[in-house]
Amino acid sequence: MNKKENVIKTMLNSVLPIVLAFFIGGLIILGIGENPLATYGLLIRKSLFTAKGFLNTLHYAAPLILTGLAIAITFKANIYNMGVEGQMMFGGFFAGIVGAYLPNMNSIVQKMICFIVAMGCGMLFAFIPALLKAKCNVNEMVVTLMLNYAMVKALEFLTTGVFRDKEAGYVATPTIKDGAMFQRFGTSRITMFFVIVVFVLIIMAIIMNKSKLGYEVKTIGKNAEFAEATGMNVGKKIVLIMLISGALSGMAGAGWMMSDQFKFTLSFSGNPGLGWDGMLIALLGGHSPIGILVAAIFYAALKTGSDSINLYTTVPKEIVSIIQGMIILFLAVKFIGEHTNWFERRKKKEEESWS
Amino acid sequence: MRSMIQAIDLTKKFGDFAANDHINIDVKEKEIKCIVGENGAGKSTMMNMLYGLLQPTSGKILIRGKEVVLNSPIDAIQNGIGMVHQHFKLVPSLTVYENILLGEEINLKKGKFRTPFIDTKKELSCIEKLISDNRFELNPMDKIEDLSVGGRQRVEILKMLYRNVDILILDEPTAVLTPQEVDQLMATLKGLKEQGKTIIVITHKLREVMEIADSVTVIKQGKVVGNVKKKDTSEEELAQMMVGRDVVLSVDSKRKNKIEDEIIYEVKELSTRNDCGKEVVSNISFQVHKGEILGIAGVEGNGQSELVKMITGLMESTSGTNTFCGVNVTNWWPDKLREIGMGMIPEDRYAQGLCKDMSITENCISGYHGKEDVCRHGILQKSKIVEKRDTFIKEFDIRIGNIEGNISCLSGGNAQKVIIARELAAKPKLLIACQPTRGVDIGSIEFIHHQILKFRDEGNSVILVSSELSEIMSLSDRVVVMCKGQITGEISPKETTTASMGLLMAGIHKKED
Repeated sequence: MNKKENVIKTMLNSVLPIVLAFFIGGLIILGIGENPLATYGLLIRKSLFTAKGFLNTLHYAAPLILTGLAIAITFKANIYNMGVEGQMMFGGFFAGIVGAYLPNMNSIVQKMICFIVAMGCGMLFAFIPALLKAKCNVNEMVVTLMLNYAMVKALEFLTTGVFRDKEAGYVATPTIKDGAMFQRFGTSRITMFFVIVVFVLIIMAIIMNKSKLGYEVKTIGKNAEFAEATGMNVGKKIVLIMLISGALSGMAGAGWMMSDQFKFTLSFSGNPGLGWDGMLIALLGGHSPIGILVAAIFYAALKTGSDSINLYTTVPKEIVSIIQGMIILFLAVKFIGEHTNWFERRKKKEEESWS
Repeated sequence: MRSMIQAIDLTKKFGDFAANDHINIDVKEKEIKCIVGENGAGKSTMMNMLYGLLQPTSGKILIRGKEVVLNSPIDAIQNGIGMVHQHFKLVPSLTVYENILLGEEINLKKGKFRTPFIDTKKELSCIEKLISDNRFELNPMDKIEDLSVGGRQRVEILKMLYRNVDILILDEPTAVLTPQEVDQLMATLKGLKEQGKTIIVITHKLREVMEIADSVTVIKQGKVVGNVKKKDTSEEELAQMMVGRDVVLSVDSKRKNKIEDEIIYEVKELSTRNDCGKEVVSNISFQVHKGEILGIAGVEGNGQSELVKMITGLMESTSGTNTFCGVNVTNWWPDKLREIGMGMIPEDRYAQGLCKDMSITENCISGYHGKEDVCRHGILQKSKIVEKRDTFIKEFDIRIGNIEGNISCLSGGNAQKVIIARELAAKPKLLIACQPTRGVDIGSIEFIHHQILKFRDEGNSVILVSSELSEIMSLSDRVVVMCKGQITGEISPKETTTASMGLLMAGIHKKED
């Protein structure tokens, strides 16, 4: 198949669900009695076309880019790390603990330590399902998915008990030290963290598209038997890919902690959670780094824009959640498959049944 | 005797490929008909048409002289045809009688009223009678998961008998059985024949054919190449019919240099088991000298695939050693084997040789993607790879429609050339070529043979595994013949006739030895 054709198909597959979701969202806005076009216009203008709004959008996009990348690299290898959320929380939590309890020191060193601890936590948590998958062929999707809940409960215990900040009026860990906080640029929320994320994105783009590892990831994803036949130790590679994914997740958690939250609360990751959003972003972006960047910014724009909707119209900001939900729903439908042509599909089916 | 099943000019095409090409077959009442042929010859396609799983492109099926259209297995069963598949279709957690009656449960009756409950007692007695009538060794209360493979097969047969079929088709029934179970199955089939059933057995095991068949049909490349009565034929003749291919080999295999004494590769007492725990390769030993082509011949499914998988690092051996240039390489990974100087042309081109969903360019480096000429500090050098691809295309005359396209766009022959180009470019000392010309057009066959000979003339060694007898005979310097996972003989192709090859392939040792 033509490469150009493929790119167009992938893009259409990402854009169509968005269009449909906005269309249905528009119907609901109409029902409320507002003008959907004006509402959407406001949403986009406030989040993308004002300097402050745009920078805020970028700020929210930063952790999403990382979680999106964490998902994408595993999906490319046809393994499913559904535990990005848990790995991210684990990393974020301990970045917060280290940031709060470590003595004051050079702020760069302090941040570095937080990142390293968080990435280590993420990797550790991804290592369990990776090992089970590689050694015992346990389905990684189930293990990663279930471990998320174990992690949420474990962190809830630690937050309400061991590490609870007694002076705070609500359940939270102590606020991290100033040295561990990323300072805002001007009045917007954006911090140095976004710059770091872009740097990571570029490195990941090179790894995924140009490196030996990227080639191996792709091969394993396309045909594991072939990958083995060419000499890749698929089990080892799966562990490595999962560790990279875990490190990216942990980094996302640390960044979110140090640039936005500053302490771990039970709603640290928000709803539905940065890891789950990352999955959607990876799907929207077609698992390509550039696609993920665009999808994350789009997604974050919905987040920042929803506040403006609340302020300036009578439409409740939950409309954005509806649109997000619709996108997920429509993404699950592949509008344009690899064989859009009916004839081609039949032919393939026959070939399969014969072999 | 009247005919039970007749197929007249039965043809099945998949796209342009004719899996069955005007097949004529005639199965008489109360006989055991064996259909033999190699993998991919079209046996299963034909049986699936007779069982209603596939619909023929053209041709007729006659049952008891009447033309029928079989749209599904239900139609086939109604016409009295039952099939026992190679992979059993049973529910492991249910008992024998439940499995047999699955879909045909007997409901409990209160007077004339049919309740929705199952009459377990009646079911049990019914199946007990069925088992004793057929003199099977089975307990209807046993669970399938506790049964041996042979037992499960008997349940499958009973399932069909319960549905009152009088024609039984068995697809490779002995592939998964132990020798004792095979004997038992043979006895069962003979018993069924005495009861008046007609039986069709698909197989490629010749010994079994000779034991049970009344008549034999040989299929090759979708065509019937022989129709014989058992009493008029022999195992050797059948083996020849199955593998012989009349390709005129125009390659001159005369060598310029001599075979040297130096041993490049040695296999010692190699054995392995398959997933079912059956020993498929037992105690194989051979040596390959420098500058020699060693052929490994045999009817397919006699352990050659497993042997190659062990040599190329895709399967672990249970015992024995492999030595390459004095280094013990037993159970090494394929990448390390490649590094040390072994090239591999795998048996299954699209499973192990190439990745269909990746581009031609990417396939040109697989297995060698970590080598210095294309990969620096973990980053792939795109321009170098493209350069490499272009040299391959030029030197190996690979014909490509869209150079950026996926490998799946290429024809079989051109795809195979990509593999050979890739493997030879790494300058190995030993090439393991497994079925190098399967499904390849004649022009490419000649080209590939030429490349193999050229490689040998450069002083390298080749292990050639092929089920094409003519290929083995014309290229090899020495041939070992495998049967049932063992080497049954070693011959020199120049001094041997295909007839004596046939004997060895059927597992019959030369008498004078």
